[in-house]
Amino acid sequence: MSSEDLLVCLPGQRLCLSDHTHVSGQGTYERQGYIYSTLAGTVDIVDKDNVKIIEVHTSGKQTLVPSQGDIVTAQIHTITQQFCKCHIKCIGDKVLGRHYRGILRREDVRVTEKDRVEIYKSFRPGDVILARVLPITEAHTYQLSTAENELGVVTAHSEHGHLMVPISWTEMQCSKTFVKEARKVAKVVPESVQQGLNEN
Amino acid sequence: MVEDVNENTTVFPGEVIKDVKAVKGVTILGPGLKRNEDPPNTLRITRAGKLQFKPPNIYWVSHNHKRYIPKRGDLVVGIIVKKAGDSLRIDIGSGEYASLSMLAFEGATKKQKPDVQVGDVIYGKLLNAHREMEPELVCVDSYFKAGKMGPLSNDGFVFTVSLGLVHRLLDPENPILTALGKVFPYEIAVGMNGKVWVNGRNTKEVLTVLRCLETAELHDDKVIVELCRQSK
Repeated sequence: MSSEDLLVCLPGQRLCLSDHTHVSGQGTYERQGYIYSTLAGTVDIVDKDNVKIIEVHTSGKQTLVPSQGDIVTAQIHTITQQFCKCHIKCIGDKVLGRHYRGILRREDVRVTEKDRVEIYKSFRPGDVILARVLPITEAHTYQLSTAENELGVVTAHSEHGHLMVPISWTEMQCSKTFVKEARKVAKVVPESVQQGLNEN
Repeated sequence: MVEDVNENTTVFPGEVIKDVKAVKGVTILGPGLKRNEDPPNTLRITRAGKLQFKPPNIYWVSHNHKRYIPKRGDLVVGIIVKKAGDSLRIDIGSGEYASLSMLAFEGATKKQKPDVQVGDVIYGKLLNAHREMEPELVCVDSYFKAGKMGPLSNDGFVFTVSLGLVHRLLDPENPILTALGKVFPYEIAVGMNGKVWVNGRNTKEVLTVLRCLETAELHDDKVIVELCRQSK
């Protein structure tokens, strides 16, 4: 495509009619019979099986937002008696350019004995956790939950500053001073073991 | 570096102590000390004060600071700053306000909560106090009995003293409070956070107690006892 044919579009700009030959692709959406763009960038038309797929490509990274049910990686920065506040750093395996705010309530820390949870014995500031995004109710803050065996603290540092190793689903041990600390530990299965399980 | 440890070595935060005595590899550290890892078997000072040693293996730093650092189990005097739903925010003189649940009083239920307002004085116990989280207070013990804890009368007067004086006053053998009590009757609640609540028959007596404690900060116990004896 020569530079004169390059169509630059803005978010919300109507691109074309949506019918059986024109289908909306990446960076576009369909509304009331028309295809609109969601990004600011250049339009690209891909021919596939006699169907034209309209895509919009933008330079730079596409904004990625957490949606309900995603597994996110977050780092905790504040804890109180009722909840923890954290910064969401990755969604799935994509690292974000900027962090989003997440909140993890006391009732969503584990499945059993929800009211007997002590935040101080489950998380501390600086821990990196895996959590699932709950249905979104508030703007700009994502509700998280670690109420599964595979979710919880992945890496944490002890009070003396050394990395800790998980020893059970409720405890981690400092690698230098061997002091044990209570955390809600995630059951992370190493990739090699996971592959072996999948093959079988 | 501190070469030899004796009773009156003044130390500052950051200093390292070598040649730590241990019994079967165990050394007991009191307040103001932390284990140092770079040269093994050394201690690092974290509070300014006088380094003390009790044979065979106990070290600590005695200090007279004014800033209170919350510790679990301490009995403190606090002032209610905010009422937020089911819990109260209490100012105990630490970095963060402490939280006190309305249900943590004797005889409190969800239907019947204690009648406390913003500005009231509370005597409570610290349930937990970590450096990363706000401290939590309760006004009952584990059997749900209040004892002497709970709201203190609004007729009293609250003022701040240094932590060194608090430790002196809480020593049962200290003569200051009993000597004062022989001159006139009064009520006193001493909080480990440096806040003291005093109640007396009239303003003059309350102010006398206040002046007396201010003097006790700077002078010896004997001076105070002598003053009380003279004024009788």
